[in-house]
Amino acid sequence: MKLAELQALLYRLITAPGGVAEGLVAERGLPPGGLEELIVGDARMAARERVAIYADAYFYRLLEVLREDYAATLAVVGETAFHNLVTGYLAAYPPTARVIQEAGRALPDYLRRHPLNEARPYLAELAAFERALSEVFQAADGPALEAAALGAVAPHAWGALRLRTHPAVRVLRCEWKVAETYRSYERGEGVVAAARGRHELLISRKDDRVFYRELEAGEGDALRLAMGGTTFGAMCEVIAAARGDAEVAAVISRLLGSWIAAGVLSADAPA
Amino acid sequence: MGVTAPARAARSLKMDGWGSGGLGAGVGLRREHYGYVLENRPAVGWFEVISENFMVEGGRPLRVLEQVRADYPVVLHGVAMSLGASEPLDLDYLRGLARLAQRCEPAWLSDHLCWTGAGGRNLHDLLPLPFTAATVKHVAARIAQAQEVLGRRLVIENISSYLQYRESEMTEWEFVREVAAAADCGILLDINNIYVNACNHGFAAREYIAQMPRERVVQFHLAGHRDCGSYLLDTHDQPICPEVWRLFEYAVARIGPVATLIERDDNLPEFPELLREVEAARVRLAAAGGAGG
Repeated sequence: MKLAELQALLYRLITAPGGVAEGLVAERGLPPGGLEELIVGDARMAARERVAIYADAYFYRLLEVLREDYAATLAVVGETAFHNLVTGYLAAYPPTARVIQEAGRALPDYLRRHPLNEARPYLAELAAFERALSEVFQAADGPALEAAALGAVAPHAWGALRLRTHPAVRVLRCEWKVAETYRSYERGEGVVAAARGRHELLISRKDDRVFYRELEAGEGDALRLAMGGTTFGAMCEVIAAARGDAEVAAVISRLLGSWIAAGVLSADAPA
Repeated sequence: MGVTAPARAARSLKMDGWGSGGLGAGVGLRREHYGYVLENRPAVGWFEVISENFMVEGGRPLRVLEQVRADYPVVLHGVAMSLGASEPLDLDYLRGLARLAQRCEPAWLSDHLCWTGAGGRNLHDLLPLPFTAATVKHVAARIAQAQEVLGRRLVIENISSYLQYRESEMTEWEFVREVAAAADCGILLDINNIYVNACNHGFAAREYIAQMPRERVVQFHLAGHRDCGSYLLDTHDQPICPEVWRLFEYAVARIGPVATLIERDDNLPEFPELLREVEAARVRLAAAGGAGG
């Protein structure tokens, strides 16, 4: 058997959702003598049992990574349901990236169509929130915009001032208050079910620590605009349109101050 | 990029020696110990880091690596190059690793003599290869290609294994030796893996070590394993057992006091407990005339 065929066969057996024995029953790529014709078995362990060691290692190594990446989601559904969730997930989204931390990237998408999300409709959003926390934690570095840099901007130049969000910034649209569920998990208070409530979350990083907070009206649209690079004037317009109150100038000034304090804007402005 | 003949690739690579003996005894740097290491700057010769954990865009992991590198030699140890796979090498991965190496200037780069996936999918595990002349040729050509992309020689590690292929034509140590010679690369000799495989497959561990080309052995790994009844499992979650220490003493006497690493990944103790194992390795290296770290 060629090396490529041998490796493909072992891959199928190791990742068979029902285990190696079940995988062998379904396997069509075996030689006439079966697995023992390829792999040495002995009195201590049959060839099938030896492959099963790798099958166990594959599943439990990835389960451990996903347990860590989605700790609050795990706390909500419990060990058994999470184990079964990961079994289905790995069959639907087998890891392709070299970095194992990427193995759980699609779990939020998988959860959206999963029965667990029917019983707890906030679950996929909670997982997406946890994934965003991980992404922000290891997002690209870069200098954040500081207040001193804005001091030199002439009054007439503010509207055309180019701004962009820092690479370690995510904005999530949510239908459920999943940050409260996560906070209850973090505090060890026992996870509380998320209440329904449309809102947006800002996730950002400062001094290597990840922070999150609920956004005010118009703030999410403004920051989304700034993700591709925009002008301060355009950001003001979307905030003004969303709020429509007389105090919009004061609101924008306050929001700009909070973004700078949290390192949300990049010092590398787009051209 | 086409496959490059090993001999040609070697001429263009850094060949100024490994300087491995001077590093002494080191520890695998794990996230749980970041705080201790940065605050206490413990007396270890060097740190080995898992390359893929630092192949990220930014954030704390890279900051920690920079701080550790400022005070210690560092070795990048990868788990995902899949040198024995059948599909083309992942050039994006190799270029990312090259960028990381440029950033932290490691003493050397290592990965495993194994395959880790098939059909574009990754098992995130280290699987054994058939020990055949054809596999030697296949893997050596891939190591040569990787070395060319990375611009430096690689160090390859012997893995622990739980199965053997009927088509194998040679012993594991012959396979390791022939691949290293054909690819002109270094060897990271994992003493625990030799012990585990000797028990699992029934060969003499000392014979394996005795057959290693001492001029190519750059580093030793020491770790713990679990006895699962019908086999030993390489878990890195236990202290190093007496049998592996004795095998290490034999390896040091036979091969020399090359850089030695205490490798612990799970069931992590407090860092000072690992330092006791570092000290135990250091004493054995020093007894053989090494730096000890």
